[in-house]
Amino acid sequence: MRVAFVGKGGAGKSAISGTFARLLARRGHPVLAIDSDPLPGMAYSLGLPHDDAPLPDEAIEDRPDDEEGPRYRLRAGLSPVEAVERYAATAPDGVRFLQFGKVRTDPRALFRSQFAFRQIIRELPVDRWDLVGDLPGGTRQPFTGWGGYADTFLIVVEPMAKSLLSARRLARLASSGDRPVRVVAVANKVTEAVDAEHISRRTGLEVVAAVPLDPVFAAAERAGKAPLDAAPDSAGVQAVSSLVDRLEKEHPRMKVTP
Amino acid sequence: MDFSGQVVVADLEAGVGTLTRLGDAGVDKVLIIVEPTPKSVEVGSRAAAIVADKSLGEVVVVASRVQSDDDLAMIRKAFPDHQVVPVPDDPAIVAADRDGQAPLDTAPDAPAVQALTALAGDLLATA
Repeated sequence: MRVAFVGKGGAGKSAISGTFARLLARRGHPVLAIDSDPLPGMAYSLGLPHDDAPLPDEAIEDRPDDEEGPRYRLRAGLSPVEAVERYAATAPDGVRFLQFGKVRTDPRALFRSQFAFRQIIRELPVDRWDLVGDLPGGTRQPFTGWGGYADTFLIVVEPMAKSLLSARRLARLASSGDRPVRVVAVANKVTEAVDAEHISRRTGLEVVAAVPLDPVFAAAERAGKAPLDAAPDSAGVQAVSSLVDRLEKEHPRMKVTP
Repeated sequence: MDFSGQVVVADLEAGVGTLTRLGDAGVDKVLIIVEPTPKSVEVGSRAAAIVADKSLGEVVVVASRVQSDDDLAMIRKAFPDHQVVPVPDDPAIVAADRDGQAPLDTAPDAPAVQALTALAGDLLATA
């Protein structure tokens, strides 16, 4: 399974994707959570302390002038799988967590790490980890190559006019690439029974989960805790669990560890 | 362009990407919208650092969706050197958003709208 959560800023991508990754891992799947947001987010929802650290310089080398390819790359001899095993953090439930680092003031400080990060994801063997990505809000990253690993885009949509508009644009962009991907919606902060249907009608997307507006789930966010730790029995966590059930059934190729 | 005598209000993209790419064109005020969550406070702190680093303008922190004194205290603690303006969590804003309407049209007297009206007045008086 290779999924990426996208949507407008504030739609709830990190909380849902972090919870999704851990629930998937609890069912025995090897999960790599991929955070390509230059700002902190997914780590909180996984239950990890946030950390700015980029991939270290020892993992990266400059491309020699007489060779073609990206400016920086993984050090010769370091495979993408080894890089994950060595440099990805380990979150609760055994989820591995990979990021290229977080920006403080100058994003150029992360260039080297970004090149290596993208190479790792591009070249990972498909059967090693299930990938769960949390892409930054908006449209810039998901469809400029950063979401290239995903076979399913989950657009997190709130039942609000602005969020619906963003979702329609994201859906168009997701479907306009040169490879087939599945694009579906996750309705978030749902308060009324008709919300999911409304989102489906307005976006033209299949709604694969409806996560209710849940004060307990929201309180976890306010406390900076993973919803799965702070509110394991909440309606929000239950809804994400149902989403895991559904995608698990729909991805027969997904590897399950013994 | 010459904007003298006019008010320009820019709504930047989420995150700090646009801030990091802005040149040295300063503004009078940079309003950083922060919710009372550690994640939002962390992002807001980084935005404030970039604004200071690039001398873009004076920072005003807008504490949005504040539900309690604790919420506000958490944000004030993170921004001890900045003015912090609370905007309460307000169902009228949520309802307007759901309907795709401007809160100022649908709920001009709602507490959050009132807080923003006061903020606009302050900015006009001091900018």
